[in-house]
Amino acid sequence: MKPSPRNLITHLRSLSHSGLLLGASLLVPANQRAEWRREWRGELWHVQQSCAPGGACGWQDERAMAAFCLGAFQDALCIRRSNFENKPFFAQSSGTPGRCLLALLTMLAAAYALALWLPGVAAERGLWPRKVSPNLVFIERATSHSLSAPSITPRQFRSWEGRRQKYFDAFAFFSVSAEQVASPSTGLDRKANTALNVARASANLFTLLGLSVHLTNPLLPDAMPEIVLSERTWKTQFAADPHIAGTIVRFVDRSARVAGVAPDGSLALPGRVDAWEFPPSAGQLDPPFGYVVAHLTDEGKAEMWANRVAINASQPDGTEDDLLGIAIEEWRPSPINLYLFAVLLGLLALPAITTVSLGESSLDSQQTSWWRKLVRWSFFSTKIGLLFPIIYFVSFDLAYGDRSLGREGAIYIQLISTFSLCLFGMRWVLKDQRQRCPVCVRTVCHPAHVGQASWTFLDWNGTEMVCMGGHTMLHVPSLPTSWFGSQRWLYLDTSWQFLFAGSTRPIP
Amino acid sequence: MARDPKPTDQKLSHTAAMILQALDAGFVYGFSIMEMTGLPSGTVYPAMRRLERDALIRSQWERQSIADAEQRPPRKYYKLTAAGKSTLESSRKRYPLLERLIPSEEARTV
Repeated sequence: MKPSPRNLITHLRSLSHSGLLLGASLLVPANQRAEWRREWRGELWHVQQSCAPGGACGWQDERAMAAFCLGAFQDALCIRRSNFENKPFFAQSSGTPGRCLLALLTMLAAAYALALWLPGVAAERGLWPRKVSPNLVFIERATSHSLSAPSITPRQFRSWEGRRQKYFDAFAFFSVSAEQVASPSTGLDRKANTALNVARASANLFTLLGLSVHLTNPLLPDAMPEIVLSERTWKTQFAADPHIAGTIVRFVDRSARVAGVAPDGSLALPGRVDAWEFPPSAGQLDPPFGYVVAHLTDEGKAEMWANRVAINASQPDGTEDDLLGIAIEEWRPSPINLYLFAVLLGLLALPAITTVSLGESSLDSQQTSWWRKLVRWSFFSTKIGLLFPIIYFVSFDLAYGDRSLGREGAIYIQLISTFSLCLFGMRWVLKDQRQRCPVCVRTVCHPAHVGQASWTFLDWNGTEMVCMGGHTMLHVPSLPTSWFGSQRWLYLDTSWQFLFAGSTRPIP
Repeated sequence: MARDPKPTDQKLSHTAAMILQALDAGFVYGFSIMEMTGLPSGTVYPAMRRLERDALIRSQWERQSIADAEQRPPRKYYKLTAAGKSTLESSRKRYPLLERLIPSEEARTV
């Protein structure tokens, strides 16, 4: 028997209402949850009977029932708040520096734990210790404006490699091209005729880059070429087969043996590469253009300026060629350098969104003691000290958590997230500090708005807040004027004490 | 601590006074109070929690057998305490239109 549309609607409505109540009940403390749910379920039944007696109802009634269920969230929050207020710890620690620091520490621990847990972040972290040698450079034509297109011919590479050089002691060559995998020979779950971006490279490339990938067979002239798959290709095209080493992959015009898998991101080289192929001899590198990685001697390193070195090379035909060496470090900035750069930008932009003053001026001549000033400044510096590691780990989690974004995407996300978190995090730190009592360093509360800027003329209007310890009152102007430009503190004397009979701290 | 004055001295908000008046008028569960006062559920239930916390009202669950007989879930009924009645009297002086807005049970039956 098929359910009628009316029954279906009634059932769906009932489900959505129960779902809302269930969601709201999660806010209620566990020991009161069952009774709270029982009461709201009982009431909901009556609401449904009133609004939709026969199961059918109009739009207005639907809205009334939904509004009733949404009200459960306010009730649940009210119970939760009341429960917290009844706990002495929460009541007394409200607005205290300790609670603020505890919250920051919790955030830091959560961000760090996430960095340990996310596989992308863990993989990236694993690459940090492998610092790229500062002596490694890409060589390109001086007329090229980026490394997006290769510009060195294999003939030039062989010519440089074959001669003794003053400024370089090693060269490696590679070029990337799309290759069709002609037939699946492994029997794995992989698409036939898949196109892979294969980088054909000289055998010393990995050694030069400091990667410990060992080719299984000696590169004899008549040996089969070996390929190293990228981790992404191994997972997506070869189903992460743990026995992939030794497998033969057939391209359209040749075959190659899989030698291993290189971790994603481990090669700081341009272009997206799915597999690295190492022909037995450099003579078999025959693309029109490719990239050259070179290792500078100490004399060559001394010639570098701003991570670049100008090179003048003789061509095989006797002509001169202007080339440029660009440090690999510049091509692939480390996450720490990116972080420091974005933090610097964030700090420079901070004055544009908030005042950098801590608002410590007072309405009277009373000043706080040196000890209290030290406590206040220590708290301020501790907050900043916790904020920056939080920014570092959160931005890292955002950038490298999703590995599908790729290296370039991760760099942009890390830059933007670090900049934003630094900007708004510092804004919060300064605002929080401005609203902390200079005596007890607790946040002032109970804001009272006095006057309205658009209604009064030459009269004070703004917000007044009071320290719950009864130490100070904070006056914040709505509109800064020449006679009241920034917030000011009023130190309360003993005549105010009767108002704070229940305060946790005596007036000093 | 000066936070808990005598119940009769408590200055109730208009909402709380309306809820007390509705309870006194015989609307003894949340939804009926909502219907009578026109206040939303997000206002009525939290207000009733606070009134119960301040001992101005008390709640009691309906017997399961009654609910079973009527084939519906049991509901929670609320009732004014002695302190609640005294506070309501004070509130009526403060809000003279309260009684006219929600007539008490006796007034409605006459």
